[in-house]
Amino acid sequence: MRKTFVSFISVLIIAVNTPLRAQEQPPDSVVIPLKIRAGIEVTGPVIYLTDRNNFTAEGYLAFDLNEKTAIFAGGGYSNYKYSQYNYDYLNKGLFFKAGVDLNLLKPEISMGRYWAGIGLRYGVSVYTSETPTFWHKNYWGTVTSSITSSTRIGHYLEISPGVRIEFLKNFSMGWSVSLKKLIYSGTGKDLRPIFFPGYGSGGNQFSTGISYFLVLNIPYKKIKIEIKKEVPEETEETTETQTSVTR
Amino acid sequence: MRSLQTYTSGVILALVLAAFVSCTPGSCIEETNAFLKASFYLNQTGIPRPPDSLTLYGLGMDTSKIYNKAVKVQPALLPLNADTLSCSFVIRIEGISDTIRFWYSTYPHLVSLECGYTFYHMLADSLAFSNNIIDTIIIRKSTITTLNEENIRIFY
Repeated sequence: MRKTFVSFISVLIIAVNTPLRAQEQPPDSVVIPLKIRAGIEVTGPVIYLTDRNNFTAEGYLAFDLNEKTAIFAGGGYSNYKYSQYNYDYLNKGLFFKAGVDLNLLKPEISMGRYWAGIGLRYGVSVYTSETPTFWHKNYWGTVTSSITSSTRIGHYLEISPGVRIEFLKNFSMGWSVSLKKLIYSGTGKDLRPIFFPGYGSGGNQFSTGISYFLVLNIPYKKIKIEIKKEVPEETEETTETQTSVTR
Repeated sequence: MRSLQTYTSGVILALVLAAFVSCTPGSCIEETNAFLKASFYLNQTGIPRPPDSLTLYGLGMDTSKIYNKAVKVQPALLPLNADTLSCSFVIRIEGISDTIRFWYSTYPHLVSLECGYTFYHMLADSLAFSNNIIDTIIIRKSTITTLNEENIRIFY
């Protein structure tokens, strides 16, 4: 387990040091298993255990096209409640995401087991929001009002860099950080959703988050990748030395 | 390739930090009242000039003054009543009183997660006022929000 943990944390270091390690004993070719991946996000249910007002369940399917690229389709359900001294808010709905995962690791490093890269996605959310009560106080007194329930559709773009490691045969774990850019929250500018599924705060043009995934990998094909050997570049210093010898 | 990987690592680190910052709960620091902003102009010259003495309160609310002999107020901030379709103010400029009545519609506006909701207003095309010291009132911007925008000009 400790070895797994160390390996997991070290994936970023592996990614940075790829050229150095690759130069030690570069193989001529590697066999990479292409896989279908089914992942579930684990932080949503865990957070729900401590905060009963916020439940999110999310999962995805990814299909390896080659050793670098996979197509991605995901979705989830969210039920969000928020309450503070001057308003109550309810939001629940579904979200769907589609896009690609790009592995930045070299094949001889990833070997179909490690992934460190970036996911690019388009997200759409269908949600129902309601403000059962809010209070506003000014010079004339306190006004109590509400905003009735309505169903909306929101859109966003997402970039999610992350890492993933196969810690058991055909089982991976990993995390990703997501940076989301709002396209349209589904409402006018006055009643932006305080939260909408898959995105977060609809009042902000950008939203961030962290996800942890457990992934089942189903190999469906193996491909052989030829490794291109890097030719060491001649430095200017060497060239100058040779020139001086010629003189 | 090396620089790409370094760049990618940097982006990941920055996003992790951003995610932690975004999880920090905030407090309400934004303006939550949408005031009608009234600027004062001299009728004879047409140049902006705040009154030397301004008293303002809602009609029937004379025990709760918004301004009480305030000096050089520019603009004056008039809170509209979100629970009614119109409201009236008593305005005393240089010791002379007038009454202004506004008609408007009201709609809710989300300020932020931390602050909650406020009410914005849309002024009707007409308003009513007495002419003891006020000569003219011009509506400049009929949408009343929390932004710092001049809504009416009062010429006196």
